[in-house]
Amino acid sequence: MKKMLLYLLACTILLAAVIPPFVGYQKQKSFAEQLGVVPRGEVLRYVAADQKEFLAASVVLKVLIYFGGRSQALPNQVQLPVDYPGISRILHSAVKLDPRNMDAHYFAQAILVWDVKQIDVANGLLEYGMRYRDWDFYLPFFVGFNSGYFLKDYEKAARMYRRAAELSGNPLFIQLAGRYLYEAGRTEHAIVYLTAMEKSTRNESVKKNLRTRLEALVAVRAIENARDLFASRFGRQPHSIGELVQRGMLSSIPHDPYGGTFYLDEDGSVRSTSKLAFGHLNQPSTEVTQ
Amino acid sequence: MSHPLELSSVSKQYVSRKHRVDAVREVSFAVAAGEIFGFLGPNGAGKSTTIKIIMNLIRADRGTATIFGTPSTKAETRRHVGFLPENPALYDYMTGAEYLRFVGNVHGMPKQRIRQRSDELLMLLDLLPAAKRAIRSYSKGMLQKLGLAQAIIHDPPVLILDEPMSGLDPLSRVLVKELIVNEKKNGKTVFFSTHIISDVERVCDRVGIIRNGILKAVKEVAPLLREGIEAYRVRFAEHESSAEQEIMVSPDDLTTQMVAITSTGGTIRLLEPVRKNLEDFFLHIIRED
Amino acid sequence: MKNILRITILGIMRDRVFHGITVAALVFGLVPVISQLSMRQVTELALTLSLSLTSFLLLLLSVFLGGVSLWKDIDRRYAYSILGLPLRRSDYVLGKYLGIVSFILLTATVLGIVGALFSYSAIGVYPPNRPVLWENYVYAIFFDVLKYALLVSFAFLFSTISTSFFLPMFGAVCIFFVGSSSQEAYNYVNSPEAAALHPAAKSAITALYYVLPNFGAFDFKTNAIYSIPMDYQGLMLTFVYFCCYVSIVLGLAVILFNRRQL
Ligand SMILES: Nc1ncnc2c1ncn2[C@@H]1O[C@H](COP(=O)(O)OP(=O)(O)O)[C@@H](O)[C@H]1O
Ligand SMILES: [Mg+2]
Repeated sequence: MKKMLLYLLACTILLAAVIPPFVGYQKQKSFAEQLGVVPRGEVLRYVAADQKEFLAASVVLKVLIYFGGRSQALPNQVQLPVDYPGISRILHSAVKLDPRNMDAHYFAQAILVWDVKQIDVANGLLEYGMRYRDWDFYLPFFVGFNSGYFLKDYEKAARMYRRAAELSGNPLFIQLAGRYLYEAGRTEHAIVYLTAMEKSTRNESVKKNLRTRLEALVAVRAIENARDLFASRFGRQPHSIGELVQRGMLSSIPHDPYGGTFYLDEDGSVRSTSKLAFGHLNQPSTEVTQ
Repeated sequence: MSHPLELSSVSKQYVSRKHRVDAVREVSFAVAAGEIFGFLGPNGAGKSTTIKIIMNLIRADRGTATIFGTPSTKAETRRHVGFLPENPALYDYMTGAEYLRFVGNVHGMPKQRIRQRSDELLMLLDLLPAAKRAIRSYSKGMLQKLGLAQAIIHDPPVLILDEPMSGLDPLSRVLVKELIVNEKKNGKTVFFSTHIISDVERVCDRVGIIRNGILKAVKEVAPLLREGIEAYRVRFAEHESSAEQEIMVSPDDLTTQMVAITSTGGTIRLLEPVRKNLEDFFLHIIRED
Repeated sequence: MKNILRITILGIMRDRVFHGITVAALVFGLVPVISQLSMRQVTELALTLSLSLTSFLLLLLSVFLGGVSLWKDIDRRYAYSILGLPLRRSDYVLGKYLGIVSFILLTATVLGIVGALFSYSAIGVYPPNRPVLWENYVYAIFFDVLKYALLVSFAFLFSTISTSFFLPMFGAVCIFFVGSSSQEAYNYVNSPEAAALHPAAKSAITALYYVLPNFGAFDFKTNAIYSIPMDYQGLMLTFVYFCCYVSIVLGLAVILFNRRQL
């Protein structure tokens, strides 16, 4: 009896000694390690039996939790980089497992198209999903936006927006189909889109991400408006944003929520040293600031 | 009328990868209505195999077993049979009373009758205190007795019991022997296997002796016991007052000896047959080859 | 048969299987919590989790009960006493089978109700994209029960030819996974992407598709989760398919068990 107790005590102490380094090790595992390797959806389908929807939902949740953990770092913490290609691969698997999983589509659209710019991949998945979620206006809405805003395929964008309008009965999409599908309406287009996106999610991390982008685009729009006003008044493009402020077209240089500084490039487009994404500023910048 | 139980040329060989065992070879016998038939043989003789064939638990390679003339492969023949397997295993999550109710239901007995019979048998076999306990908690002997109770709950005309006395304490052995004899008194036919000779001696009308799967002999027990008398022990006194003497007399000389003693005024105090017992007979047959 | 059915259910109950299920069902308490994590489909996620958990527990139950039931009776020699009674072996096998299937049906009903309650609690707070069709939910669970009834019949078939429980248990698990993806494999073989596949492999897969049970066909979870209208003719066909298939498998099991030496 006494021996047994001693034995148990020894084992417990050993375990207690192992736990801190073990937990530390688990924490520092990279995302790929944390999630393990999720096989391609086409392969998973064969072993998922009747748990396809569950598997899809659980990998999407894993991505969400990971993303939430990475994007809500406290100010004094180091902001760890987000493994976007990893997320992209996993969402791809999820969609192949359950093409109707809206969380996967939504997350891919809200985060991936902006941050990874795999527009064609995203559209491919969305159009695959559209075949199954044939009642949902969000998917054609997303494809429409991607085609119009990123790929500048206005014809396809208009077609998709019309489909979204049919499915939803919402006049917003008819508006989108006509009004913003040209180069100069680009920023406005994105703002309308992001506003709708931001309203329709419940996830705080994603909301925050969208709000930041919206804020940046609103700032871009303000500069663009000032630039256009300047051009119409003086008959030439301004040299810099500073000039716009000087001439009273802007009250102050707008703040870039991504931490960069806005500038005008040679053809007059509004740009930022942050490239409107986190994580670019710490790298040696090759941008020429005017 | 056909016999309650009849086997004709039943053979069974167990075939495994390496071995072939001729467990039963060309066994034929018939059990008459109302008799107690003892199936005697050493361990591994083929008794259980024979019984399993009768109960259609395994199939004979050749030959048939019939119950009242119907091949025992038909399930309905078992309506007339009460069966106790060797070291019975009964669903151990049930209580003894539940098991008896289940068996009664399978036999299609009315509820009232099931309750009555089961109380009666549990009482008779001294299982009443354990009736509401899970069979899991029963001792080997209790299990054996419950197995017997479930075999006779429906009052079948034929009883087939595989080693009914094994695992029982002396008191229970007596109980079970009495029960078997009682069944016979009620006109039932009993066929049971055993490797214990005294079990046969006390209760059986006939005995079949099996060894290495071969039925060596089928004998009536009473004549066997009678035939077995080798001599008589005679105790007598020559006069009222003289001391007792004891002599052994062969059966042939018995009459002349008796006359000789009594004619000289002697008195016979004791006359006792000295038998070569069933055990010797059994051993004789077993050792034959 | 009725008597065997009754004592089979009694046996399952007495073995505390239902207690185990109840403990496992506590996991349902997590359903509302986890579904909160969804961005766009809280109710759908709640339904997914409920249906998946139900199906998973039913799978465990059918593999375990189906694989062990007959084997245990033979291994522990309970069958000697039972088959010494005036019971046909077919009645014994079918009685046991129906007992297990009844228990699975009972469990499915209880889990289905629990899952529905937890999912329902999510709807009030976060309404789904489309109103939930509870009728579809019932169909999804009912066809899950049919699927596992078919699986149990396979476990029984394997039990009748095996002397250990490995074959019934692992055989059932294997046939479940193969049968669940046979439709996928068949679809793949008949898609243009499979052009490079050897013709022999193609015909082998096609042949297997026709012979093996198509468990995937019993999966109506998507209809329940995303409120996709049911194709009633399809349901009917699936039901008839189940009846034919299970009759064949049980028939084989009975034939083999009739010949079995105990
Ligand atoms: N299932 C089996 N497989 C192979 N051999 C068996 C089997 N059952 C019994 N035997 C053999 O058959 C012979 C007869 O066995 P059995 O009928 O059980 O004898 P007993 O007279 O003791 O009841 C024995 O030699 C035994 O080893
Ligand atoms: Mg024996």
